[in-house]
Amino acid sequence: MRRQLRSRRAPAFPYGYRYRLDDQDEVNQNYLADEEEEAEEEAQVMTVPGLEEEEEEEEGKEEEEEREEEGQGQPTGNAWRRKLQIVTEYLWDPEKRMSLARTGLILVIYFFFYASLAAVITLFLYMLFLTISPYMPTFTEQVKPPGVMIRPFAHSLNFNFNVSEPETWQHYVISLNGFLQGYNDSLQEEMNVDCPPGQYFIQDGDEDEDKKACQFKRSFLKNCSGLEDPTFGYSTGQPCILLKMNRIVGFRPELGDPVKVSCKVQKGDENDIRSINYYPESASFDLRYYPYYGKLTHVNYTSPLVAMHFTDVVKNQAVPVQCQLKGKGIINDVINDRFVGRIVFTLNIET
Amino acid sequence: MEPGKEKGTATPREQNQSPRPNLKPVTMNKNLRKKKKKDLEELKKEVDMDDHKLTLDELSAKYSVDLTRGHSLKDAQEILFINGPNSLTPPPSIPNWVKFCKQMFGGFSLLLWTGAFLCFLAYSINLRYNEKADKDNLYLGIVLSAVVLITGCFSYYQESKSSKIMESFKNMVPQQALVIRDGERMQINVKDVVLGDLVEVKGGDQVPADIRVISAQGCKVDNSSLTGESEPQSRCPDCTHENPLETRNIIFFSTNCVEGTARGIVISTGDNTVMGRIASLTSGLTMGQTPIAVEIEHFIHLITAVAVFLGVTFFFLSLILGYGWLDAVIFLIGIIVANVPEGLLATVTVCLTLTAKRMARKNCLVKNLEAVETLGSTSTICSDKTGTLTQNRMTVAHLWFDKTVYEADTSEEQTTGKTFPKSSDTWFYLARIAGLCNRADFKPHQESVPVAKRATTGDASESALLKFIEQSYNSVNEMREKNPKVAEIPFNSTNKYQMSIHLLEDNPQAHMLMMKGAPEKILDFCTSFMLNGQEFPMDEEMKVDFQNAYLELGGMGERVLGFCYLNLPSNFSKGFQFNTDELNFPMESLCFVGLISMIDPPRTAVPDAVGKCRNAGIKVIMVTGDHPITAKAIAKSVGIISEANETAEEMAARLNIPVSQLNTKSIKAIVVHGSELKDMDSNQLDHILKTYKEIVFARTSPQQKLIIVEGCQRLGAIVAVTGDGVNDSPALKKADIGIAMGITGSDVSKQAADMILLDDNFASIVTGVEEGRLIFDNLKKSIAYTLTSNIPEITPFLMFIILSIPLPLGTITILCIDLGTDMVPAISLAYESPESDIMKRLPRNPKTDNLVNHRLIGMAYGQIGMIQALAGFFTYFVILAENGFKPLDLLGIRLYWDDARLNDLEDSYGQQWTYEQRKVMEFTCQTSFFISIVIVQWADLIICKTRRNSLFKQGMKNKVLLFGIFEETMLAAILSYTPGMDVALRMYPLKINWWFCAIPYSALIFIYDEGRKLIIRRRPGGWLEKETYY
Repeated sequence: MRRQLRSRRAPAFPYGYRYRLDDQDEVNQNYLADEEEEAEEEAQVMTVPGLEEEEEEEEGKEEEEEREEEGQGQPTGNAWRRKLQIVTEYLWDPEKRMSLARTGLILVIYFFFYASLAAVITLFLYMLFLTISPYMPTFTEQVKPPGVMIRPFAHSLNFNFNVSEPETWQHYVISLNGFLQGYNDSLQEEMNVDCPPGQYFIQDGDEDEDKKACQFKRSFLKNCSGLEDPTFGYSTGQPCILLKMNRIVGFRPELGDPVKVSCKVQKGDENDIRSINYYPESASFDLRYYPYYGKLTHVNYTSPLVAMHFTDVVKNQAVPVQCQLKGKGIINDVINDRFVGRIVFTLNIET
Repeated sequence: MEPGKEKGTATPREQNQSPRPNLKPVTMNKNLRKKKKKDLEELKKEVDMDDHKLTLDELSAKYSVDLTRGHSLKDAQEILFINGPNSLTPPPSIPNWVKFCKQMFGGFSLLLWTGAFLCFLAYSINLRYNEKADKDNLYLGIVLSAVVLITGCFSYYQESKSSKIMESFKNMVPQQALVIRDGERMQINVKDVVLGDLVEVKGGDQVPADIRVISAQGCKVDNSSLTGESEPQSRCPDCTHENPLETRNIIFFSTNCVEGTARGIVISTGDNTVMGRIASLTSGLTMGQTPIAVEIEHFIHLITAVAVFLGVTFFFLSLILGYGWLDAVIFLIGIIVANVPEGLLATVTVCLTLTAKRMARKNCLVKNLEAVETLGSTSTICSDKTGTLTQNRMTVAHLWFDKTVYEADTSEEQTTGKTFPKSSDTWFYLARIAGLCNRADFKPHQESVPVAKRATTGDASESALLKFIEQSYNSVNEMREKNPKVAEIPFNSTNKYQMSIHLLEDNPQAHMLMMKGAPEKILDFCTSFMLNGQEFPMDEEMKVDFQNAYLELGGMGERVLGFCYLNLPSNFSKGFQFNTDELNFPMESLCFVGLISMIDPPRTAVPDAVGKCRNAGIKVIMVTGDHPITAKAIAKSVGIISEANETAEEMAARLNIPVSQLNTKSIKAIVVHGSELKDMDSNQLDHILKTYKEIVFARTSPQQKLIIVEGCQRLGAIVAVTGDGVNDSPALKKADIGIAMGITGSDVSKQAADMILLDDNFASIVTGVEEGRLIFDNLKKSIAYTLTSNIPEITPFLMFIILSIPLPLGTITILCIDLGTDMVPAISLAYESPESDIMKRLPRNPKTDNLVNHRLIGMAYGQIGMIQALAGFFTYFVILAENGFKPLDLLGIRLYWDDARLNDLEDSYGQQWTYEQRKVMEFTCQTSFFISIVIVQWADLIICKTRRNSLFKQGMKNKVLLFGIFEETMLAAILSYTPGMDVALRMYPLKINWWFCAIPYSALIFIYDEGRKLIIRRRPGGWLEKETYY
């Protein structure tokens, strides 16, 4: 009976939300039980017609109003009253026995639930930071063996330029100049110490102590320093390319056997490159630049560089060049990673 | 019964009202449908037949057949060629490729196909603009397509396997028919019988077609499967009724000939037979979806809506955030893959299959996999009486002699041990009369079979007496040999008695006249009665006692027979020629001995089963073609009408007031006669179905059964119907779950049903209900378990887009979870034992108690899933932090991280990473995220074991579940540590301690949920229960 009345009334109040929400209270009720109830009610109605009103009153005040309105059909229940009713129904819908307040409560509960979850993850992350040293990464094997990168690097590893058209190589020069600003002799002398070559620059002491860095002056690069030839050889078709090894905290090359760089034609005629000059002349990264202590304490650390000066390369054709690191503990033939211990680029110098 | 008329009244209902729209796609085109509809109309019309009115000559002319020699072989061949074989066309089955396509494109498949399509699209766009396109999208597209194909094939295979069970029922025994062709009798296959064939049918045969009888000797047929009449009907060549169904000169296809022989002409074959028409009508009825199908569809819609909403939202969000179109499409793919529980539908299928197997072991054979659950949702069972509730075997129930009513043992196994004073001399006389004045006999070669189960020839009542005497007195055959029969008058409906005269073994010269029959008729013959072996003259007191006893036994719905005898005087001694036509011997002043009453007794297990159904909140309604009194008696004895309740008539009789003055409110039981039902409109029927708790419908026709089922469905009930006859099959088809009888059931009813009770026992239904409810609960758990891992699958993508962190979980890894590690544990929940007595709660309300409701989603997505996501992210952050990337530095790093040309990306320590090194790092994190999900899914699995009880109460007895935990862990380890996985799936080995990062979260999940359940148990009906009990 109750359900029938509801459905009869439903079209008069087509609020979307009523249909969206499930009927909470009836979930575990059985419709048979409902039927029984309904049947009983119906039986009562048939014998004592007045009972229905009482039943209705139990259901809630709004409903009674509603019933009166419908039953009497008087226009006195004007639009204003109806609006009020809609608002009250929105806040407390007796038919669904569901109210906005309750939906709100659920939101509040979920808010607190998520707040406590946030507290939990914050706590856990805090504990994580307690176990992690800010100076030394816990594991470094993922970043070893060291990768290799070259400068100038814009977007690709293809060096295409025409010697007679400065605009084709100008950006390499700008890039290199910018990169080498940090290597200016004056800056290096001011910030860093001149430490003895050929041996590790080990700085014992507390972990949190600031570490000193060894000088790597721009002038070490000689012809590729841009000091004598501000175009780094590009204007003459003898480009300089700087090579650096990726920094790894704690990495030390083999003692007495610094990491060397050697370049050759990757595929094709080896005579395409007739001569390369390396600066520093040893074509190696001196041991004094190792180990690296991490950026928190080793603030002014300057990565060592090796400059390759391709003084005599075949012109007007693409020459693939592979530069490899050589030394003990260096891997330069990983198949998946073409930047570990080596780098491949092409030179295509037009005249 | 006038089936034609009733069919007429039923027709408009079936057209206008289909309580639930058929949601299944109809693939036929319009014209075909129209034609089919027209056919259905024709089927519903009255059986139009005039062959029974024709004379033999006309018949011979009509079918151009010689009535003694039959068809010639050549003619028969031709007719067979023209009319086709004499067999029922199986109901139109959906072609296999349509079923296959439904599996391919139904459910989540469409969403996954979209994902795959987007993958290929992304790949081809990539291919077009970049020379070296990333093959990842191509692979993912292939994998997604493969997933859809494989899960689709799997579901299809499962479904076809369960439908194959049914095929074993077909052609179980190739029936043979005896036809006369070219004057020669020959055994041929029933399907080769043609129109006009001259056929001979004898006792025990199944009738091969609709046959007009041309000659018959004592032929009786059992029409019960067609009309519901349980009495065998005699058949003769004369037309006795206008209505072909009532006339005696037609025997119908697939009914059984009980005794005698008949010869006749085949007047219709195959689908044109009366049986064939009902079968076609049945297969024309539309069937609604099963409740579980509705639930799964609801659930799929829900998940699809979430997936599409999230996908589209983030697609546009990522465009707004400045990602490219291609990126946005890839995000969309990821979100779709993460949202769709790919393995879930397969899991559900497996769970249902497992239950179907378990039920088959308990004699419930499920034809349609989805019907497994339907019994669990059932709220009303409309049960046929004969054969389901009862043994379908007349048995002696009561005896009345020496002025006392004695109860006989009616149980199936003769175990109740009820006895009566066998020493009484009256019993000796009664037993002799019952055994000798009896034409029934045991069929030969049954010595090893228990007496109660032996097959007999003859009338049901006589067989009952025969078995009863054999069991409780002596061997009847021996008795008959010693007391040979010299004369008899067989029973007929005008006499209403049967008489036989025997020579007596103890006095071989004397004859004894024995008589049995309708009690009032018998009493008229008697002038004396027997009490404790002594004859006394009949007096008023005895007559009153007799009346009372007769009423008492009759009121129990039993068929009562009276017994009397007469010692013939010496002038009728041995050698006297008795003439039964002219009665040259006295047949009056007999001595009344007693009454024996018989009933088709309920099966032993039925009252218990009905009680269980009651407890489980299931309304059991009896719908039978039998008489109201018998129906009521059986209803009372099995508890369909409980002891406490009485019908209006009974109450009126007790209070001695007219029925109209009763307070109808207190009456909960009613017996509705078919003729009353005929005059009711649907409102009145609804009123009856709603008002009364205990209902018996008696004398109902097949169409009325259909109406009752529809009435219940209209009230929102999920209705199970049991039945065995062809007349039940429309109702079986219409019901949410039709249950046919495996032994006595007709093929048509089995065809229409969803489930077959192999042992014909109503008690098996209770098993079905139990299993159905259990699987519903367990499916909820299984789905809750599977859905939970969706959140840790989706959130990585969302965080990837919003926070621009390296992708924490890849699509391939998601598939590894959904189709790998989650599968076995989810299936193992199907083996979970019930938490409480599921047979003591009410059936679920299909409107509100959904398989997947917002509480389940809230729990899985909103609560447990979130904790799981935290576990995953925590592990992810731990690994990155330990390797140099601290969480705060990761925010916004995505653009650089995913730049393949950037090979010196700095981490939090100033170290520089190549692209490939970063990617290895990223995939290691994804592996660890995956492992973390596996670890938190342990806890999820354990909490999903119960919905209310504590784990400590439920225990860890589910071995499959333990295996599931082991299996998922092993699988995770294999995926992580097997060499080559880095290339194949981009999964990398983890350090052991990274496995432990998620364990605190596992514990958190467990503690949280145990706490939640504790509160739910402590405060039943409380707020938390309403919000989180799924």
